[in-house]
Amino acid sequence: MSEQAASTSGIEDFEFVKQRSLWADALERLIRNRTAMFGLLICTVIIFIAIFGSVLAPKDYLRTNISNIAGGPSTENWLGTDLVGRDVLSRLMHAARTAVFAAGITVVLGNIIGITAGALAGYMRGLVDDLIMRITDILFSFPDFLFAAFLSASLRTPVVKMLGQLKQKTGWEFLEQTIFLDYMILFGALAMVNWSGTARLVRGQILSLREQDFVRAEIALGMPTTLIIRKHLIPNSIAPVVVGISSGIGGILLLESSLSFLGLGIQPPAASWGDMINTALPLWRQFPWLVLLPGGTLAIAVFGFNYLGDGINDALNPRQIQR
Amino acid sequence: MLTFTIRRVLLFVPVLFAVLFITFTLGFYAPGDPLEIQFGQDFDPDPVILARLRALYGLDRPFYVQFGDYVWKLLHGDMGKSIKPGPKREIWDKIKGAFPISAQLGAAAGVLLVLIAIPLGVIAAARQNTWVDYVIVTGAIAASSIHVIVLAPGLMVLFVLVLGIMDVPVGWEGLFSTNAIIPVMILVITGMLGPVRLTRASVLEIIRQNYVRTARAKGLIERKVVTRHMIKNALTPVLTQTGLTLAGLITGTFFVERIFAIPGFAGMGIAAFQSRDYPVILATTMIGATIIIIANLLVDLGYGMMDPRVRIS
Repeated sequence: MSEQAASTSGIEDFEFVKQRSLWADALERLIRNRTAMFGLLICTVIIFIAIFGSVLAPKDYLRTNISNIAGGPSTENWLGTDLVGRDVLSRLMHAARTAVFAAGITVVLGNIIGITAGALAGYMRGLVDDLIMRITDILFSFPDFLFAAFLSASLRTPVVKMLGQLKQKTGWEFLEQTIFLDYMILFGALAMVNWSGTARLVRGQILSLREQDFVRAEIALGMPTTLIIRKHLIPNSIAPVVVGISSGIGGILLLESSLSFLGLGIQPPAASWGDMINTALPLWRQFPWLVLLPGGTLAIAVFGFNYLGDGINDALNPRQIQR
Repeated sequence: MLTFTIRRVLLFVPVLFAVLFITFTLGFYAPGDPLEIQFGQDFDPDPVILARLRALYGLDRPFYVQFGDYVWKLLHGDMGKSIKPGPKREIWDKIKGAFPISAQLGAAAGVLLVLIAIPLGVIAAARQNTWVDYVIVTGAIAASSIHVIVLAPGLMVLFVLVLGIMDVPVGWEGLFSTNAIIPVMILVITGMLGPVRLTRASVLEIIRQNYVRTARAKGLIERKVVTRHMIKNALTPVLTQTGLTLAGLITGTFFVERIFAIPGFAGMGIAAFQSRDYPVILATTMIGATIIIIANLLVDLGYGMMDPRVRIS
């Protein structure tokens, strides 16, 4: 019955041309972009190491060896050892985990807050909009690095207290691990700094979309609001968010290593590129490679994410397509 | 334009107040008692003395009294004293000494950035999708991907160990000394991406505009199309945005200043962080925020002046 109705209405007859979505188009453009693919390759490798690094690492990244301090590359330690004789390669691999997890979780947390706040502001307007925008104004006024540092320093005591209570209730041992705690505090601080940009972006997008002719036309044609939001507002505001996310990851990697460099992020003995650079920096004259190895790795990782982000930006930005 | 300006300026005060409040709260609840920090870890004081010290520094008062007192003093131009022992305790004196150094570094880097990045952006746009474009854009992305804490030792290894053309640059001997070369270079290299990308995008956007096509169609010579129709419109966002870049350069030189032991404003903030010197952290965050807010204000006003559409919305 319903099949018949559908075929007699003849809607399918009009679908001669295979429709291609914005995303399919963008994907094709992205794949054609060589630097972006190169970036993707780097990102994949880094993420792979971040996930499987603990299995792949040739040595225990925490085991010290006083008889081989700052040793050069050998069959034993492929990339040499650091100032307390730990295997540099294994530490680099564990630091990749720190960096990627920091970036991933910060991005997810920051964007959940940011998109919700931005959509609320753009959609509700009025008082809610004013309130949220003033908050982002304030957050934008902080030198963002100082603010992240400040937050991660100040949040520690209350978070430790809170998790201690939670542990008493649940009996989960992992809540007392300092490494877990460092991650939590660091991600929290970074997300707090990062959400306001997304919020502004989403709000601006929704505000400007509301005024676009095609949305007005839908309103005039009597399209239900929920359908307008689903069909037009969300798909059209997602692209800039994706661009924002992908080009922001490199920055988060830099921020994470900055905090660790100053001893405000991941605490030793956990591994972080920033911390590795920091401990080796005073001795850069004697052991330049101990600075340059984590430094180079950090640079390559950020390269990768930035190239990929840039490619995604080009792919999703129809205005800049070459003609 | 006047109401737009007034509205913007009026927003300045509450935002600054909120920044102050948040910073103060974070500092107040942050771990580490200021007195303990001052006396070190083996601090085992007589409770009576501790109480008197706390009273002396006003640390025994409730939060809102301390905050009110701080704001009141700030309004009278008193930023308080550093809790770290030393000869120069007045924060204002410290800042007076440190700020010009950061400002010089930032301004030098800013001027160089404008002179290098804007032409590069224009060239990249003019040669879009040729190898020139790719080299400029990829190069800028690559440059900005290298963290200062990587670039600084890297350049030192290069200049001092490999090339051997200078000594280890430590300390500050004025802007026109060899010590300032690597710091300024680092600021320029790492700050390159934003202005290059913005200039390129902005020129590309203009190239496709109908009025440019019209100008060409009516037979205007190419030079006039470029100078009269393109550059002016394309550079408006770039120049206004430069204000923000400059603010970022002045407040964002933490790592450069720390690594090269330059006694500047940003380095002072970081040193304060590492020693939990909260009055100094408060003051530096405040001044940093003020600079950023003013830069934002100027950018907004600049846009408003150049683009009437901004004023209406």
